[in-house]
Amino acid sequence: MSQDTLTGARFSQGATFSAKLSMWFRLHRIESKRGIKDIFSNPVSNFMTVLVIAIALALPTGLHIFLQNGQTLFQNWDGVSRISLFLKSEVSDNRLQQLAKEIEVRKDVAKVTVISKTQALEDFKQTSGFSEAIDQLDINPLPAVIEIQPAGNVISPEASDAMLQSLKALPEVEIAKLDLEWVRRLHAILQFAEKIAAALSLALAASVLLIVGNTIRLSVQNRREEIEIVKLVGATDAFIRRPFLYTGFWYGLLAGVCCWVLISGSLYWLDDSIRLLASEYKSQFQLQGLNLVQNLQLIGVACFLGLLGSWLSVGRHIRQIEPR
Amino acid sequence: MIEFVDVSKRYPNGQEALKRVTFSLADGEMAFLTGHSGAGKSTMLKLICLMERATSGQVMVNNKNLNRVGKRKIPDVRRDIGMIFQDHRLLFDRSVFDNVALPLMIAGYPQREIGRRVRAALDKVGLLSKEKYTPIMLSGGEQQRVGIARAVVNKPPLLLADEPTGNLDPELSAEIMNLFKQFNQVGVSLLIASHDLSLIAQMHYRTLVMKDGLLHQDRRAENYFEEDVL
Repeated sequence: MSQDTLTGARFSQGATFSAKLSMWFRLHRIESKRGIKDIFSNPVSNFMTVLVIAIALALPTGLHIFLQNGQTLFQNWDGVSRISLFLKSEVSDNRLQQLAKEIEVRKDVAKVTVISKTQALEDFKQTSGFSEAIDQLDINPLPAVIEIQPAGNVISPEASDAMLQSLKALPEVEIAKLDLEWVRRLHAILQFAEKIAAALSLALAASVLLIVGNTIRLSVQNRREEIEIVKLVGATDAFIRRPFLYTGFWYGLLAGVCCWVLISGSLYWLDDSIRLLASEYKSQFQLQGLNLVQNLQLIGVACFLGLLGSWLSVGRHIRQIEPR
Repeated sequence: MIEFVDVSKRYPNGQEALKRVTFSLADGEMAFLTGHSGAGKSTMLKLICLMERATSGQVMVNNKNLNRVGKRKIPDVRRDIGMIFQDHRLLFDRSVFDNVALPLMIAGYPQREIGRRVRAALDKVGLLSKEKYTPIMLSGGEQQRVGIARAVVNKPPLLLADEPTGNLDPELSAEIMNLFKQFNQVGVSLLIASHDLSLIAQMHYRTLVMKDGLLHQDRRAENYFEEDVL
């Protein structure tokens, strides 16, 4: 019997600050291990939870990648606003050339390109792959086109619109089209999609919080007796909270990594078809995934959401458990 | 060590568990708390370790007025009290060592100190050879001794025991009581709730007898033999 250690009752003076600090680190190590062990102790159902979180993260991430690629794709077309004049079919080739010269001398015009009816048909034959069918045609259905690149002084939408109106008024012109218009529309659509993506991200982040919160709530209830016991021997709420916070963090980390795998897999799977599509458009476009920083951000956000979800849930549920 | 002044406790369901109880337990004193079930023994212990709050009156423990202890300070009060339960309240997924180490880990002791103290406590209750076992591998008496080791491991000045021998045979009960006696001899105050009257009679210590929420009798150790307990 070692009497020495049990001689003399005294009020617990606790431990020194440095001892407490080193214990604090040790407990973190122990509890972080316990948290991950908890998850792997029931691998199937916990993996499903991780997967649900990962999918909830992958949806907005995927949308974000889609938008990011859309932006780089259309960025280059931004500055080029061109006006296309589609002429009436009865306009002769001579008149076409004449008209082109007339337009070229205007002050607000930088460059004019003429595409005659025959040339348009040739181009179409080459690019569409319908050459045989087109050969069967008796008449050429395509109009002659004058492409106008406005001078540098025509920048604002109002100026280009005024120019468009004046060109539209020419008697030979069937349709006048400002090419920039659809670029603008596309931008508006992209902006709209970005907002939807942001809203979706918020909603799914909230759902991640709820999923983690609910998982942690169940885990708190499962360990109700243990919580009562450690409360009885003097544990603070912070001490009891710690393993649950770690579990939440690990859920977030695992889900973040799963999400990264899902996204990378999907991009790899899509890559071939995107390349094929791009080559059809004679484009060098390549699908850009997330870069290293973005990947780390994704995993960081996942960890943060896991931690936050567990923190929101655990405090409330631990307070409800009091020893009886 | 413990001082009750006019303490009453009424539960939300209207049951009056304690009625104006006044008593005090001196530093280093050991006493039994007895009475039939429902007489208020458990309520008294619960008030001391802040599992319940008094409806009126004043409870002082370790010179702290428990009425003034906020929710966040409850753990501090409990760290100075070693508690022993009839159902042991051990963590069944951890080893005997880890169970006993729990109060020290909570208080943040350095690891070497934890090892030393846990082994000393286990040695004291005679379970040093079973530190790696889980509680499920131990008998009832051994589990109770693990609970006792956990209660004394951080050397609290006060031990509370709620029916510590409730599920044990007389021989094991006597062993446990012997341990309590030894703790008392090194200066620990003890308050032991028990209805094992024959055991209490053998011990010759002060006995508080509860009846219907009132402190019915307060028998000092010295005049113990003069009257029957109940």
